[in-house]
Amino acid sequence: MKNKINLFLVEYAINALVRRGGKHFFIGFIFTFLIFLLSSTLFISDAIKLELGSALHALPEITLQRFVAGKQSDVPIQRVDALLDIEGVKSAIPRVWGYYYFKPAGVNFSVIGMDAFSRQYTQTLQTIVDGIDMKALEKENGMIVGEGVKKILGANYYQDFFNFVTSDGQWKKVFIAGTFNASISLEANDMILLPKKIAYEIFGMDTTRATDIVVSVSNPKEISMVVNKINLLYPDMRTITKDDIRVSYQNIFDYKSGFFLSLFMVCAFTFFIIVYDKLSGLSSEEKKEIGILKAVGWSMDDIIKEKFYESFILSLGAFMLGICFSLFFVYGLQAPLLRDIFMGYSNLKPSFNLPFSVDGGMLCLLFLLSVPIYIGATLIPTWRASILDADEVMR
Amino acid sequence: MTLTPEIIALLMLDALFLFFSLIALVLSVRIFLKWDMHSTHALQYSLEKQSYLVSVVIKYIFTLKIPLFLFFIFTCNKLSNIITGAMCAAGVVNSVDFGLYLTVFKIINLYFFGFWLLLNRADMKEEKLPFTKLKFLLFILFFVPLLAEIVLEISFFSSLNISKIVSCCGTLFSAASTSYLSLLFKVDKTLVVGIFYFFAFLIGIAYFLKNSVVFIFANGMFVIFAIVSLIVFFSTYVYELPTHNCPFCLLQKEYYGVGYVMYVTLYIGTFFGIGGTILNGLLRSDDRLFLKISLLFDTLYVLIVSAYPLSYYLKNGVWL
Repeated sequence: MKNKINLFLVEYAINALVRRGGKHFFIGFIFTFLIFLLSSTLFISDAIKLELGSALHALPEITLQRFVAGKQSDVPIQRVDALLDIEGVKSAIPRVWGYYYFKPAGVNFSVIGMDAFSRQYTQTLQTIVDGIDMKALEKENGMIVGEGVKKILGANYYQDFFNFVTSDGQWKKVFIAGTFNASISLEANDMILLPKKIAYEIFGMDTTRATDIVVSVSNPKEISMVVNKINLLYPDMRTITKDDIRVSYQNIFDYKSGFFLSLFMVCAFTFFIIVYDKLSGLSSEEKKEIGILKAVGWSMDDIIKEKFYESFILSLGAFMLGICFSLFFVYGLQAPLLRDIFMGYSNLKPSFNLPFSVDGGMLCLLFLLSVPIYIGATLIPTWRASILDADEVMR
Repeated sequence: MTLTPEIIALLMLDALFLFFSLIALVLSVRIFLKWDMHSTHALQYSLEKQSYLVSVVIKYIFTLKIPLFLFFIFTCNKLSNIITGAMCAAGVVNSVDFGLYLTVFKIINLYFFGFWLLLNRADMKEEKLPFTKLKFLLFILFFVPLLAEIVLEISFFSSLNISKIVSCCGTLFSAASTSYLSLLFKVDKTLVVGIFYFFAFLIGIAYFLKNSVVFIFANGMFVIFAIVSLIVFFSTYVYELPTHNCPFCLLQKEYYGVGYVMYVTLYIGTFFGIGGTILNGLLRSDDRLFLKISLLFDTLYVLIVSAYPLSYYLKNGVWL
């Protein structure tokens, strides 16, 4: 192709940028900051989505909740047998769990009831249960707690036991028998594991009922069929499949980043106007320069091209700088402050590392959101500058 | 309506393009009506200046629109994760009634925009600016499909309903479906593939005979039959599944995004074949560069799509 990039023009553009450093530095700085903010939010939301996605992997295929008058209520345990009769269902496990609100610290613990020897529905829970003696726990009235729970109880002077307040106002004293190891802190930070019997007592639940039922299906292609059968069998049960959860995660995070992006749009528009304004006001020195260039034989096209190189170099530089900063900020520093927007804050929120999740599509998206806007803003001022007449400005 | 970051980016750029193209349209109409190269009037002088603005603006829009097409498909692919039933971009595009028209408009526009950029370059090179009037007339004409594309795209994304269940490509691209796409499958496969290779061969012949009319015609038919044969025949070998006839799944990770390579080579090949040859006719030059590029990329495309069935046959000893 004959239309090669004119390297002399590029060199000239770089020199021009350096010569008027102050003016361009300001624009470049703001632009870098905008891109940094934008890419950080998108990186964080993608990373959290990835993390949740991998946690999702371990979940059972279908979760069944019973709804009475639109509110979730307990499921009779005998329904498990009917569920197991459905072809394709590998297992159906009733769960007894719930949140226990601990007022002094203002946090919710996840309390999970366990049976000795029962099969668990996630790998994590299975490893936990394998490691402890449920029978002994039951005998000595003990519980296993997550690290976060241990810390909070300790801060409230509960060193080796805790008094649960049951639903009928009684105190239920349970001893702390141990903590989970740190490797599973993401899932188990706010968890309290205790024998089912005690869980029933704390929640004041009927022992013939369970909170919900998890169903696992051997063949993922049969999930929708199994869901249909369950819906026919028990119309009051709501089925939540893994896929539903995945879609709702994606929606939530798309919504959150979309919301942030809409705010960004406002910033981008303001920035557009700043750039437009800044570039439209040519100093007499700049006008003189264009006049001289035209006098020595530059065409309008050359000047437009040179100005385009200037803005392209500036915006691409700001883009790369912004991306580098945000990569460091998000994956190096683990995004302090910003990640709270997505995580929410709570004393018991586990600390985990944001997994690296940047791909070409993401970079494309960020590029399209930033560089074209900047170049768009420079189009008209550039043209304005290029039509100046040599004789008029040099006079 | 869902606002994922990708959709917001596309909508925002659309708004920007709409704004700039309206400015360009007003100026182009003026230039087209009043342009007179031999006049020494002040009006002509200011028109010449404005023509630069217009060409810069159009260059900006068209240069971005071309990569944005791939980004649009990428977005649809990504959306297929959240739309029930969709497994690739095909389902997403078809979830709205006019999704197919949007894609068709986008493809047509790719050729128009590319040609405009080529013409603009040729025009700028000549000191008498011989094509200025033609250039701006073309922009006024191309503005209609551009506007249609932008309007369709905006309404496409706003009427996208994530809770609606759509069909996946497996049902859209099959003989059993009731849409007009199923007509494609009524035709004999070997006939389609034969026609495809025939036009590929014709391009080669026209290149050696230096016959531009045949070259343009062959390229035009080539692109149509390339897509049809890709749907009914070649795609099945990429997926190694006789029932999977989707032109969009090719773009997914599972197939190493080979579709991007295929479509880009097909576009470059046929675009330079058609646009480049027309431009040569206008310039009355016989620069063979465009023809060479066209021949190279057309051949590349044929080689890529042919490699899949051949390697399948060599590995398994049977055709699908």
